[in-house]
Amino acid sequence: MGSRAKILAKIKANKPDSLELPHIDPSIFDEGLNLVQEFTKKVEVVGGNVREIKSNIDAISQVKTLFPDVKVNFSTLENTKDFNTLDLSSIKSPQDLEDLDILILESDLAVAENGAVWVADSQLPFRVLPFITKHLVLVVSKKHIVPYMHQAYLKLNNAPTDFGVFISGPSKTADIEQSLVIGAHGALSLTVFLKF
Amino acid sequence: MSHPQLASIFNKDEKKVNWHDKALWFVRHKRDMSVHHVQGWEELRNLGHGIKAHMLSNLNSYLEEFEANAKKNGVEVHWAATAEEHNQIVHKILRENNAKKVVKSKSMLTEECHLNPYLEADGIEVVDTDLGERIVQLAKEPPSHIVLPAIHKNKHEVDELFQEHLGTKPCDGDPQYLTGEARKHLRQKFIEADAAITGVNFAIAETGGFVVCTNEGNADMGAHIAPIHIACMGVEKIIPKLEHLGVFLRLLARSATGQPVTTYSSHFKKPKADKKMHIVIVDNGRSEQLSRPDFRASLHCIRCGACMNTCPIYRRSGGHSYDATIPGPIGSILSPGKDLTKHSSLPFASTLCGSCSDVCPVKIDIHSQLYKWRQIITKNTPQPFIKKKSMQMMGNIFAKPKKFEKVGKIARWSLRNLPKSLINSKPNAWGKARDLPEGPKQSFDEWYNERQQNKNN
Repeated sequence: MGSRAKILAKIKANKPDSLELPHIDPSIFDEGLNLVQEFTKKVEVVGGNVREIKSNIDAISQVKTLFPDVKVNFSTLENTKDFNTLDLSSIKSPQDLEDLDILILESDLAVAENGAVWVADSQLPFRVLPFITKHLVLVVSKKHIVPYMHQAYLKLNNAPTDFGVFISGPSKTADIEQSLVIGAHGALSLTVFLKF
Repeated sequence: MSHPQLASIFNKDEKKVNWHDKALWFVRHKRDMSVHHVQGWEELRNLGHGIKAHMLSNLNSYLEEFEANAKKNGVEVHWAATAEEHNQIVHKILRENNAKKVVKSKSMLTEECHLNPYLEADGIEVVDTDLGERIVQLAKEPPSHIVLPAIHKNKHEVDELFQEHLGTKPCDGDPQYLTGEARKHLRQKFIEADAAITGVNFAIAETGGFVVCTNEGNADMGAHIAPIHIACMGVEKIIPKLEHLGVFLRLLARSATGQPVTTYSSHFKKPKADKKMHIVIVDNGRSEQLSRPDFRASLHCIRCGACMNTCPIYRRSGGHSYDATIPGPIGSILSPGKDLTKHSSLPFASTLCGSCSDVCPVKIDIHSQLYKWRQIITKNTPQPFIKKKSMQMMGNIFAKPKKFEKVGKIARWSLRNLPKSLINSKPNAWGKARDLPEGPKQSFDEWYNERQQNKNN
């Protein structure tokens, strides 16, 4: 008997009688959050910045003010092609993205309770992009903020992706004497632009 | 060595113990501040418990469902009954792909299986990429905590380690500088890697996908750059549905560090066209633990580390004193199931105060299980002579009220009148590093009777 059969047989023999699967009722967690306010607060708590924008063009001009010295730029926003200094079609392997200074992505899902923004595969020609970039900018519409993770997964149930990630703040570590250091292996900074 | 022996080594450096104690209590405090802001937190814990209990009661079906869906997603699924088999499978995948350089993100399972030395024996370079894990790897030590692997090291020790291994400048232990240097050093490792190994926080039966949580982004840097991604998981990591992540991701980081969620919660499902993804599903004693009704709930664990941060024993004895892959209260109920003799001192490394059970996000009755393991261990493993005899004596005294009264009187008198050198002499473990209290003049019984009489008068 192979290990697969052996493991499954042993589990079947050793497991308890079937127990019921509890039902999740998201309403019991509802405290009537002000979504934009809570989301902003949480992104700041986890080390990110939140700004308001009026349009994609506005996003680009704010990025230029916030990060004056960046050289290698890439954006997936509509009408921002001029901003890109990186031609992804010339990139053969993810290693070649190492010099990326700034990446702007759009998302259609953010979570108020923890400041997380969903980034899906469809946005990512290379999955390593939001991690390998030095600075990450995420653009979300206010109407796409949901209160809790429960509502986020209701939405994700209907939008299956091959890969996706909730990002809450810039990468960080406190592994040296519990001192928080922003900028571990992923992005060194995170800015979220909220638009109407 | 037993837990008390190893703990006494850790306790030699009192300043360090005090720092360790305070640092972990601070993490516990952050957890409290975070969870007290969640409406319905107790309900959330109940859901976590209920979903895991349901999962375990249907585990074989969910594993099969997960496997079928993962295969449909183009992922190769492997099964390992033992740690040895897990290592062989990972080794074989690496060899077939001629992979010589491996980056690994945090995975307690691969620690449990001792994967690194197994691969290194064949000349494969394995680099742990979580900063804390990299620190302990360079120091040639195991992690001392499952979330904070290098919590037992101070910044000056890290400074010295990095000077020796990464060629950094002396910096008086500046965490910002040291982290920056580690980023540069590990960035190179990510770029060069032939394969990436990650753990799995949650594997979803209905989608065949899995979630990996990190704050540093190291799992993603590895998995998305290297051509091969191998994810290793214990059988109990399964959850039935995607929506259940809503419960567990709300519980995990808040319980672990007080963050509202980890920085990155990465949902892997299908590999990119030019890449390969493997999942290794490991039993290694878990199905055995499932057979024990008193202890099977230990398999609910989502590895947040909250029970360690809160435990008065763990905080003052350090993770290495447990001499087990998973230290602390949860480790003390998991480990005896694997090797009762080796880990026989662990369930006694507790005051049974119950704080571990109170903070557990999936409501494992940790302190009750510690107590139950004690019953089994006392029956099945040889106990120290003094402990055995004194327990018999105490049992005898407690069973006979007259005798209890007499012995109590002698003990109270002795505490008042005998010299400290005698009271705190070697056989009395309670007299180590502390004074026993002054013996009261009356027993509780005498005090109570006197009080009743005064009331009546």
